[in-house]
Amino acid sequence: MTLTQNAGIEASPYKGAGRLAGQPKVASRLRFPLKELGPVATLAVLVLVFSLASAQFLSASNLKVVLESSAIPVVLVVGLSFILIQGSIDLSIEGVMAASSMLVSLLIANSVTGFDLGWWAILAGACLGSAFGLVNGLVYTFLRLPSLIVTLATWFVGLGIATLLFPGRQPQILDERLTRLALDKSLGVSALVFLALAVAVFGWFLQTYTQFGRMSYAIGRDEKATRQSGQHVRFHKILAFVLMGLMSGVGGVMISAQLAVGNPAAGEGFLFPAVSAAVIGGTLLSGGTGGVLQSIIGVFILEVLRNGMIQLGVDPYLRHVAEGLTIIAALVIGNWSLRGRLRIVK
Amino acid sequence: MTPVLAATNIGKTYPGVRALHDVSVELRQNEVLGLIGQNGSGKSTLLKILSGMEQPTTGKIRLRGVDTIVRSPLAAASMGIGLVHQEQSLIPNLTVAENIFFDKPSPHRRFGIYNWRGLNREAARQLAKLECDIPPDIKVDALSFPDRQMVEFAKVLAIEELIDQPLVILFDEPTSLLSPSEVEDLFRQIRRLRARASVVFVSHRMEEVLEISDRVHVMVNGENVAERTQDTTSHEELYHLMVGSRRSDDYYQESGREPVEAFEPRLVVAGLTAPGRFRDVSLSVRSGEIVAVTGVAGSGAETFCRAIFGAEDGVVGSVKVAGHELGLSAMPDEAIRAGIGYVPAERKLEGVIVGRTVLENIILTFGPQMGRIGLINRKKETAQALSWINRLKVKTPSPVEYVERLSGGNQQKVSLAKWLMSDRLQVLILDHPTRGLDPGAKADLFGVMRELARQGLAIVFVSETLEETLGMADTVIVMRDGEVSAKFEDLCLHKPRPEQIVEAMV
Amino acid sequence: MSGDSPEIRAGQVGEQNASIRRIEIARQLRSIAVPAIALAGLFSTIAWVQPKLLSLRALAGLTTDAAPLLMLVMGSAVVILLGGIDLSVATMASFAAVAFVMLNPTLGEFAFVAVLGLAGLVGALQGYVHHRAQIPSFVVSFGSLGMLYGITHFISNATAAPLSQPSAIISFFGSRTGGLPNGVIVVLISAAILGALFRFTRLGREIFAVGASERAALLSGVKTLRVKVLAFAISAICASVAGLLLLGQTGYSSPAMANNYLLPAIVGVVVGGTAISGGIGGIACALVGGLIAGLVRIGTVIVGLNPAYQNIVFGVVIVIAVAITIDREKIGIIK
Repeated sequence: MTLTQNAGIEASPYKGAGRLAGQPKVASRLRFPLKELGPVATLAVLVLVFSLASAQFLSASNLKVVLESSAIPVVLVVGLSFILIQGSIDLSIEGVMAASSMLVSLLIANSVTGFDLGWWAILAGACLGSAFGLVNGLVYTFLRLPSLIVTLATWFVGLGIATLLFPGRQPQILDERLTRLALDKSLGVSALVFLALAVAVFGWFLQTYTQFGRMSYAIGRDEKATRQSGQHVRFHKILAFVLMGLMSGVGGVMISAQLAVGNPAAGEGFLFPAVSAAVIGGTLLSGGTGGVLQSIIGVFILEVLRNGMIQLGVDPYLRHVAEGLTIIAALVIGNWSLRGRLRIVK
Repeated sequence: MTPVLAATNIGKTYPGVRALHDVSVELRQNEVLGLIGQNGSGKSTLLKILSGMEQPTTGKIRLRGVDTIVRSPLAAASMGIGLVHQEQSLIPNLTVAENIFFDKPSPHRRFGIYNWRGLNREAARQLAKLECDIPPDIKVDALSFPDRQMVEFAKVLAIEELIDQPLVILFDEPTSLLSPSEVEDLFRQIRRLRARASVVFVSHRMEEVLEISDRVHVMVNGENVAERTQDTTSHEELYHLMVGSRRSDDYYQESGREPVEAFEPRLVVAGLTAPGRFRDVSLSVRSGEIVAVTGVAGSGAETFCRAIFGAEDGVVGSVKVAGHELGLSAMPDEAIRAGIGYVPAERKLEGVIVGRTVLENIILTFGPQMGRIGLINRKKETAQALSWINRLKVKTPSPVEYVERLSGGNQQKVSLAKWLMSDRLQVLILDHPTRGLDPGAKADLFGVMRELARQGLAIVFVSETLEETLGMADTVIVMRDGEVSAKFEDLCLHKPRPEQIVEAMV
Repeated sequence: MSGDSPEIRAGQVGEQNASIRRIEIARQLRSIAVPAIALAGLFSTIAWVQPKLLSLRALAGLTTDAAPLLMLVMGSAVVILLGGIDLSVATMASFAAVAFVMLNPTLGEFAFVAVLGLAGLVGALQGYVHHRAQIPSFVVSFGSLGMLYGITHFISNATAAPLSQPSAIISFFGSRTGGLPNGVIVVLISAAILGALFRFTRLGREIFAVGASERAALLSGVKTLRVKVLAFAISAICASVAGLLLLGQTGYSSPAMANNYLLPAIVGVVVGGTAISGGIGGIACALVGGLIAGLVRIGTVIVGLNPAYQNIVFGVVIVIAVAITIDREKIGIIK
């Protein structure tokens, strides 16, 4: 028998019956399996429907609006994907974003405090986010508490810190280097979109080429076996939370750039769409599945949906209903075959 | 010539259980050593100790002539000992290559960064040792079971790269889920490997062990009772050895044993099948009859009994209790309403509700029937539960003691008392009811079972040992690989020889 | 059974029953002791800083404010006793208030029944989906949190609305009887009902059994689907009562009026000694825990701290309380 190293794409999954030479086989690690095409197809259908229903939808200016509004969610889901792949959850996104946004707006040249730290302020925002993530990760892994509870707590701690930092009147951000990130356009889009793109590429690299990324999949699928094989499960879990915190911090900086003010409610409305986007894209809450690219597809699905609904004059609040429904539906469908009469899920 | 691996005087005790006692095994260079024994004979425990998953209580291990302590599976791998798991250890959402190097260092994965091309090439080289051309960059999810076994095998073989001595490969029941042709494939691989490794092969299938092994060790009750070479032994001799010489009467009750008089069956199971677990098993139990279902681990005896109670998925066939047909999708609560009670083997997980009291455990199922419209009649149910605590002699400081504080035997009685609260219990199913109990508690429990049968209950139980089977049952059903391989009736009148049962088992 | 079964005399049974009751009561008291001491300590600290707290007026205000929270805590406790969690309670309370204001003009006082029924239905559906599809309760309730948020904002046009027509029930909720805030009466009645549920009904016992060991309960014939559906329905109904209490206090509904109560509600459950892993705790624990959470809310204001500290305190407290009470062995791998 010979060993073939063919990297071609084969439609049917490798069945293994063909261990004998000459039988069809081979699929690639980079192959996009058919069942994962669902979200892409959904996105295509949405784009098609909205462009038929609304003349403006496919206009360049509207597509740019979609891209601009996707920037922050994309950054968030890159972090969140690793958390979800490991089977954990992070609810603290909004709180961390709020704290980071307040810190940045107070440390950069602003209308309230005398600080003018420039880029250092932005770095401080990102660091504050990572610190939150580190605390989440440490408490989660060392006290062995459900990530749900830990991050629920830090969500509100973050909000509390943001409110404490709020000086009574809203700080206007005067440093144009930050606000220009959202205002100056090159190739038609702002620097924030390019930042999101860079973060996405970075996330994809982490997921595909690093021990951290690969072990995240292993942890999500079979944490016990992963630990028994001598992997540093705790380290990878903490790392995922630090990454998520960093992304939330960066998200806080980005929203400050867009709003040009510091706002303790800056994070509001980001958690739910981020989780929904990841789940819709195939990064399920049950762990071990999906990935950064899939989650980003999910972001685009939601942003196109929101944009299209606005174009069509549908109440934007109904979007929450659709999101809530898809979070549940995606997991119901993904989990349906795993059901068993003695299976216990709390 | 020094043996590759020598374990001397190995003993292993778990709290309350002696799993291994004074076992010595030698594995020579380039040989295949077979381990054979009944359930609970200690062969799996021995394998766990050799592979570092468990630490022996006494005894020592010499590897290539040097005293060694195998602290963990990882340490074992670094010494050149690999275990091919029965339940596979692969992570299905990672690729074949990743799995092969999952627990080992690799030059293609430095500073946490993967070199996929190198890793895949290296994995392909490992797979090529088995003449196997599974693409290394495919996810394990997409592989068939035998292919996964090959990957598992390659994962162990890759240990070769870490050390420059021949490997010791341990196989834990590798054939239990393979078809005959797949088993043949596996054996071909093992024979090829013999040139550069030594193999320990554990299986419950006698033919297979005899076919592949150079020498066979027979284990009984955690002891190593005999060593035979393949060409000087026979099936018959091995069956005889597996039964063991120990005849202990205190494990079962001969007294009070009389032929079953009833003719009407209480429980009729016809053609019950659960794909992949058991096929076409039928059973009929009369009032007062005790049926033992027996077989080695994985024979389907336990799952069959669970299926009667509605605790298994995807079962087809028919279950009738006192003429009343139970629906195929019946859940345990429906089986209970039809009059079936089930005492599970996993006491702490399934038998009793840990964290609740003895009293609450006993009245959980049938207590509410003494009240009305969902309200409970506390006085009445408590009185009845207390009388069962007395009659079964449950030793507990107080009826409201937490059930997990009781000894195993008393927990088992609580688990049993729950069903006896019912006034229309027809059938009682017990899965390994004596597991982990001391001899006194066992005799106690068997006394209760015998008494319940005399009062007319139909009893089905999965037994722990041959002695139990022969001592308790009126009818014995032996299962092998998911099918009934033998049936012995009217044990009261003519008892089969233990060898006959063992032969049907393995 | 054989002849060795000693017939127990009636007197003996009575004696046994009395001793069982003694042990059970002692156990109850022990489980509540630490949270109760914490409550007393917290109360005296705040009273020491601000002696005005001891006035009847202040106490009435304190309990009025705590009433909706206590309803939420008791409802959440039922689900947490099962070992699950319901993240939708606070949003459900907002939804109930908005729905009542919208339904009241057409249905009159029947709007009360309609809102409670609707809440019960949504809760039951959550329990059903959670159990039938075997997906974690936090995902189901997280999803329905989003849906309820959207629906509430959609039907209310995202604006606050006053109660357009007077309602006897809501005005009762907002007023006092003989100095006692009616909110407190509602809480006490609900606590009595739930307490009776746990002591005298099959459902109550089965909730504990499922929370302690769902698998063993299932194999003992407990209909776990029914238990979960009812528990989630109870949780949602309690939440809707909380929303209506808030409506009674303020006189108008707003689509996010109760949304800040999610964390305090869960904090209330866990500081009362109810384990997040299920099977340990009870209504008394929930009441004490709810009072602690309510006192922290008010206390920060009374002591003169920035209310922002509330969130931080709650965040820290929930981590500590869960860390102490959780049964890690039961959960196995903690995600």
